Amino acid sequence: MTTGSIIALDIVIAVLAAASWLAAGATAATTALSAAGVSEPADTADHGRAGTASRRRLAIGLAVVAVIAILARVVTTIVLIRAGWWFAAEKVLIAGPLALAALLVAGPRVVRWVKGGRPPVVALLFAGYAQTAAVLVTVLHGYPVSSAAVLLAFGGVGGATMVTWRLAGPPPGRAVSRAPVVVTVAVITAGLVLVVAQRPAPAVPHAHGSVAEPAVAEPTRRFTLTAGTATVRADGREIEAWAFNGQVPGPPLTATVGDVLEVTLRNRDIDRGVTLHWHGYDVPNSQDGVPGVTQAAVLPGEEFVYRFQADQAGTYWYHTHAVSDIGVRKGLYGALVVQPSGTQVRDPAARGTGIEVIVPVHTLDGRSLPEAVEDTADAGTPVRLRLINTDSTTHRYALTGAAFRVAAVDGVDLNRPSALLNTAVLIPAGGRYDLTFTAPATPVGLFVDGRVVWSTGPVAVPPQAWPVLDLLTYGGSVPNPLPRADREFTLVLDRGLDMHGFLPRYAHTVNGAADPDIAPQVVRSGESVVFTIVNRSLVVHPWHLHGHHVLVLSRDGERARGSPLLLDSFDVRPGEVWKVAFRADNPGMWANHCHNLAHADQGMILHLLYG
Amino acid sequence: MRKALVVVTTVLLAVFVFQFVFAAVGAFTRPAGDGAYLLHSVTGMAIIPALCVLTVLFAVLARAPGRVVGMTVIPLGLVILQALIAMLANSFTDASGSSTTLSLIIGGLHAFNGIIAVHVVVGVLREAQKLPVPGSVLTGTTT
Ligand SMILES: [Cu+2]
Repeated sequence: MTTGSIIALDIVIAVLAAASWLAAGATAATTALSAAGVSEPADTADHGRAGTASRRRLAIGLAVVAVIAILARVVTTIVLIRAGWWFAAEKVLIAGPLALAALLVAGPRVVRWVKGGRPPVVALLFAGYAQTAAVLVTVLHGYPVSSAAVLLAFGGVGGATMVTWRLAGPPPGRAVSRAPVVVTVAVITAGLVLVVAQRPAPAVPHAHGSVAEPAVAEPTRRFTLTAGTATVRADGREIEAWAFNGQVPGPPLTATVGDVLEVTLRNRDIDRGVTLHWHGYDVPNSQDGVPGVTQAAVLPGEEFVYRFQADQAGTYWYHTHAVSDIGVRKGLYGALVVQPSGTQVRDPAARGTGIEVIVPVHTLDGRSLPEAVEDTADAGTPVRLRLINTDSTTHRYALTGAAFRVAAVDGVDLNRPSALLNTAVLIPAGGRYDLTFTAPATPVGLFVDGRVVWSTGPVAVPPQAWPVLDLLTYGGSVPNPLPRADREFTLVLDRGLDMHGFLPRYAHTVNGAADPDIAPQVVRSGESVVFTIVNRSLVVHPWHLHGHHVLVLSRDGERARGSPLLLDSFDVRPGEVWKVAFRADNPGMWANHCHNLAHADQGMILHLLYG
Repeated sequence: MRKALVVVTTVLLAVFVFQFVFAAVGAFTRPAGDGAYLLHSVTGMAIIPALCVLTVLFAVLARAPGRVVGMTVIPLGLVILQALIAMLANSFTDASGSSTTLSLIIGGLHAFNGIIAVHVVVGVLREAQKLPVPGSVLTGTTT
């Protein structure tokens, strides 16, 4: 079982324990009530007594289920500790003591009940509250364990128990009841005070244009992209979209290494503003297109001119970074392809030496783009498919009819990629893979999530059961001594309650905080930086650092053994721990975020800056 | 307050019924675009929890017996559980987001839990209607 499924299983077990305690308490309460003669319909006395006995058995059975669930949770917690303390911290420090208290309080009383004592209604419900608090801590604010979470969990359990006591239990003596009330109120108050006081310092004020950047030569490739609302046709339907130059995707921008690109961005009528971010292209900071960080959003009627040297060959894409979740989803994206220098002809297909196909996959208002294309390829023709995932979720690609190689990932060529057959590849949100193969005489087909997008003839849908390529063991390794880390950061990805202004929200968090409250990461120029990225949530987070490619060191403690992987977008699945390294060689202030743009929108974005 | 409790519980029941309709709207919207389940999730994560809290509040204010107050807490717990189940179901989908057997089973629990919640709300409504009307001859249990 993967750590990810253990995380989910652990929550399922914890919920089962909580539900069992609570149901046991509620069932015990009905037996207590009928024993007291309350609300029991005037049935025959025998019938009532039999019902009480069976409900007593049911309650005791539920308590036994709860105990078993707690024991099972001990096992899942130990497994999670072994996967990494991040996954288990709050389970050991908060859920553990709460579960123990539940066992110690409810256990002996249930035993006494079995021997003929009174139904322990309040004790069982207390156990239920304790276990519920344990679940809520994991789900609402698991890591890092905070004293506020501890106080609120313990205070909440105390408060709920006292209310129950008043409503259902035997009335406590006046002298006894006051002290716990005062303590509980004090604990909850202290917890709330800490929640307010402990909010991390807000991010460093966004200053742009402060970094001295080398001057760029005269442009050799000029483009103009005009953003505006447009009605586009997709899948035979008219869709209200946001488009560059009236088309979705926007026009592909092509260049050759050595070119200087000048792209004029105009905004016709996108009220919330647009920018251009060159995804995976490590441009100087001022050209990165992050509103509020490297530039102001371009509002209707305004324009912004981007200018940068094309010095990396490969497959990239551009998209708006202003209200990026909505903007990209609605269609503000396009491909950026840079050919290696020496390639004078910009459309290799026109040279007759090979076929190049750009496949930017996108979901536009529920419809999958691009529409299927049937091509012709003479046997022996070299083919390069440039796959781009512009969605916020992972897509599964499968090529049938030919052995292929993954020649490049995220624009960077792989070392000695081996030929693959009947193998699927998973491309993370924002990621790009170049697949190359030599066209056979028989048809070839490219499928995305089982839908054909490009083919050279009639082909059958590849089976779902194909194995998935693991890049960490693909291609030839290069003996590269790892640089010593000058600086290390750990990013623990999760969900949690967060105050967004005055509104609480269920945010996607990094180290327990959500944008704009995540402390920025400060590095110095020239340093070798290592990120440890831990996903303790239930969903995949495609990580994307702007301005740099990162070298993958290891995943879940296992070193990358294949070709060196220089990525800008990589899926950190639930329960995974990735270690990646990069050289701080591009000064400025960079967004560092999840490329599931809805997640970024809900807090999962922080900044890396050079100090 | 008894009347308020009856009204808010009735409204809660009605919204619950609509919630099943909204789920069906989500399931049968073609294409399954961005907003297919929007109504369902807004209702489930904002309107229903708020109504549940109101039910508890009015039950306490109506000085309902502890058993009835306890019953009004159950829908709130089930609704929180409901959101958790939906999250867990999504977490068991495969790498490209397609459903798996396990995610479908957990998704089924989501529907099952919803049905239980409706039954509990019906129970709460019955109890609320049974509460003694203030000033009537039946006010035997108040102290
Ligand atoms: Cu994410």
